[in-house]
Amino acid sequence: MYVAEVVEEHHDRPERKRRLGILFWICVGWIGLNIIGAIFANVLPLENPLFQNYTAVNAGPSLHHLFGTDDLGRDIFARIVYGSRVSIEVSLGAMLIGFGLGAPLGMLAAYRRGKFDSILTAVMYVFLAFPAIIATIAVLSFWTPRSLLKIIIVVGIASVPLVYRVIRSATMNFASRDFVIAAKVQGATDRRILVKELLPNIAPVGVSFLLIGIATVVTLEGALAFLGLSVNPPTPSWGNMINESLSILQVNPWLAIFPSLAMCLFLLSLNFIGDRLRAHFEVSEAKL
Amino acid sequence: MSDATTLLVVKDLATTFATPQGPLPAVGGVSFTLNENETLGIVGESGSGKTVLSRTIMGLQPRRNVEVSGSVLLNGFEVVGASEQAKRAIWGLEVAMVFQDPMTSLNPVMRVGKQIDEILRVRLGMDRHAAKARAIELLELVGIPSPAERYSVYPGELSGGMRQRVVIATALAGSPKLLLADEPTTGLDVTIQAQILNLLQSVKDRMSMSVVLVTHDLGVVATRTSRIIVMYAGRIVEMGSTRDVFARHRMPYTRALLEGSPKVSNPSHTRLLAIPGRPPNLLSLPRGCAFAPRCSFATDICRNERPELEPSLEDGHTFACWNPLPVSQGVPA
Amino acid sequence: MSDTTQPLLRVRDLTVTFGAHRKKLSAVAGVSFDIYEGETLGLVGESGCGKSTTGRALMRIVEPTSGSIELEGVELTTTSGKALRNLRTRMQMIFQDPISSLNPRRRVKDIVAEPLDCWKSVESDERTSLVNDLLNKVGIDPEIYGNRYARQFSGGQCQRISIARSLAMRPKLLICDEMVSALDVSVQAQILNLLEDLKIEYGLTLLFIAHDLAVVKNVSDRVAVMYLGKICEIGPADTLYDDPEHPYTKFLLGAALEADPDSPVHGEVLTGEPPSPMNPPSGCRFRTRCPNATEKCAAEEPQLVDIAPGHQVACHYPLSTLIRREPAA
Repeated sequence: MYVAEVVEEHHDRPERKRRLGILFWICVGWIGLNIIGAIFANVLPLENPLFQNYTAVNAGPSLHHLFGTDDLGRDIFARIVYGSRVSIEVSLGAMLIGFGLGAPLGMLAAYRRGKFDSILTAVMYVFLAFPAIIATIAVLSFWTPRSLLKIIIVVGIASVPLVYRVIRSATMNFASRDFVIAAKVQGATDRRILVKELLPNIAPVGVSFLLIGIATVVTLEGALAFLGLSVNPPTPSWGNMINESLSILQVNPWLAIFPSLAMCLFLLSLNFIGDRLRAHFEVSEAKL
Repeated sequence: MSDATTLLVVKDLATTFATPQGPLPAVGGVSFTLNENETLGIVGESGSGKTVLSRTIMGLQPRRNVEVSGSVLLNGFEVVGASEQAKRAIWGLEVAMVFQDPMTSLNPVMRVGKQIDEILRVRLGMDRHAAKARAIELLELVGIPSPAERYSVYPGELSGGMRQRVVIATALAGSPKLLLADEPTTGLDVTIQAQILNLLQSVKDRMSMSVVLVTHDLGVVATRTSRIIVMYAGRIVEMGSTRDVFARHRMPYTRALLEGSPKVSNPSHTRLLAIPGRPPNLLSLPRGCAFAPRCSFATDICRNERPELEPSLEDGHTFACWNPLPVSQGVPA
Repeated sequence: MSDTTQPLLRVRDLTVTFGAHRKKLSAVAGVSFDIYEGETLGLVGESGCGKSTTGRALMRIVEPTSGSIELEGVELTTTSGKALRNLRTRMQMIFQDPISSLNPRRRVKDIVAEPLDCWKSVESDERTSLVNDLLNKVGIDPEIYGNRYARQFSGGQCQRISIARSLAMRPKLLICDEMVSALDVSVQAQILNLLEDLKIEYGLTLLFIAHDLAVVKNVSDRVAVMYLGKICEIGPADTLYDDPEHPYTKFLLGAALEADPDSPVHGEVLTGEPPSPMNPPSGCRFRTRCPNATEKCAAEEPQLVDIAPGHQVACHYPLSTLIRREPAA
């Protein structure tokens, strides 16, 4: 610790850009590929994910079916690509709601403090006390007929208290620092302070948490699929496919392997990106 | 004076940290001796290496990423390279250390008396009652009012000055011969600072200890030390009796320190002697004298070759400078 | 130095109380002083005396509980909202911790230009030249350092940047809250000299808050000494330091550690601890540690009265009166 003090004390050169590393960019590329696949699935040369080919049931990987087929003869590869849509839409949509509501509230509460903060935080903490997964399951069980939108809304709202807490504590960390007081003293409006002074400082935390959130929701979709609460079949989703694969594991391991691999790689990439970003920004923090 | 027993002999002590940016020579080639019953001041700004030096003398440097070379002979015991076990044997009993922040030096969840007890019971083998009695004695020695009651309070219930007194009491529990005090009064109020420094002095006399006062504040060492060492960029640049260094300093950095700080005795709006620049980056020390870039007397030799400490002149006053100030210029205003 | 005209800043009976009901803490308990244009008033005291809180109350960072603050005749305590924002350009503050005073994620030139941007008062070209000018004035080369991030600078450089920022709107009053306390000795001297130069160049009036007596004396024309939320003594710097009237001032000066081996070591050191501000002593707050205290000190709180032109003290037995009363040896 005090070695760091001795080193940081004398810092006059422009800081060396911490390289993010080749693996980082590979992961970014992978996520990008998934997103592109999801968006352009319609125009890509894929098999019809819903077409049931009874002549090629539980087939292994081949030139025609890159990842093989499932027990209804549907092409696994195509279903994985189309399935990524579900994972991506649910996670991005839920995070949009979660951050869209939770982040501004968290920032405002941390900046304003006072009654607004006390009441809002108390409410949020009460919600945090409920096990979110159970609540999600309960709501989705009763709110039929199920649709992707409903799943997004439920998961999104369930994530608001957590986002609120994270953003609020990150903001509180900075809101008490002298430079915020200095800005106020210069005559900056509250809005200006929130946007120009606080936002750039909590953005690293926010982005990190966003990535974790996306990864969590993707996993959550898998969990919901196991309970039959994800999108209705025959719409493919990674969770659905893994769920279906359990009963035919002996016969067709490919249906279990490939969607799991897809989900795994997606999550690993997200986590790695989040980790590297955090390290990158933390280095800068250490110089404070 | 020269018959005094030597307590501490430091020879060519160097501490280098291995950092991602390269080796950092926090302390380089420091040598000095300390006799019994002496008070030595080590003065320097941040990055001068004074804190690293005191911790190295104490033997507190970790083994990983730190290289310590040279010798520290404490009452015949070699600290450099000693095993953890051997060092533990002398910590608290031969040498003790007082740090800057009393709040982190004391365990916040343990009662104050118990923290003093620990040494007495574990190291000196006293039983519970004897230890408690001695602890209360120590609390009284350091000037804490109602020591018997204060024995059972938590550090958080005491003020900063009181806490520092407790820290000193803890350090004295084993009756060490040497007390290292690293910025013991920085951060305390002025009036409390005076109290604590007086306390250190009286305790030193009563227990026949030697004290090393590490600080950035010249005022702290001026009247309370017999000798001082001035450090810059990890090395000793001037060393001698306090009087000599203050009144007849030779090294321009010493003068910059002395005349750069405002004095209560000077009239208001006195222009201060401000030298440009900042203490150097230890990772890329300039060739030659580390102070040369900021020194108005620097010449070519200063920039190319690092000056060594002159052999000791009268009374152990020595300095490291190619262009020292003439003796007469050192007289204070 | 001080005109007989209106003071630039006029503070009367300022109080700042925290907490409520039984747990009230009066950090500032009725403080009054004037600052005249062009002068530097030093505010000195130990921790807990309320000097920093006073500075923050003047800036309305902390809300005054009662009292009046008049800046150029305008009452600040009753101003709020937009009007208060408008007044912000007249008074600025520099903080103790140089690193946390600057947004680590903004570039230096943006930080210095921020006040200008808040008020949208200048064109882009003018903005750049103003910022460069300010940075040059504080000794930071805008070409080399302007685009760097604040986190890449040392403590002394950060303070320079803070100073440049605070001067952007040409304030009349600059409050310096322990601005050199966190700096190295050699850097302190640079910053103090810089402050003196800028004060003259920009025609500033300063309120310099610090705990270091020598630093305060060096910078100030007049000095006010605070203890436990009240002002004990206020007067010209040289006079106050040479002949203090309040016993606390004398002890404070006695405790000051002079960098001079021959300075007399004051035997009489102030004993005890300061009382808790939550429960201050009745009457004179210093009486519990004062060797001259009598019943009068407990019963009646001394007010600030003139003891000499420009020199006020709040004490029933100012030191100069005591010396006169001493019997001949």
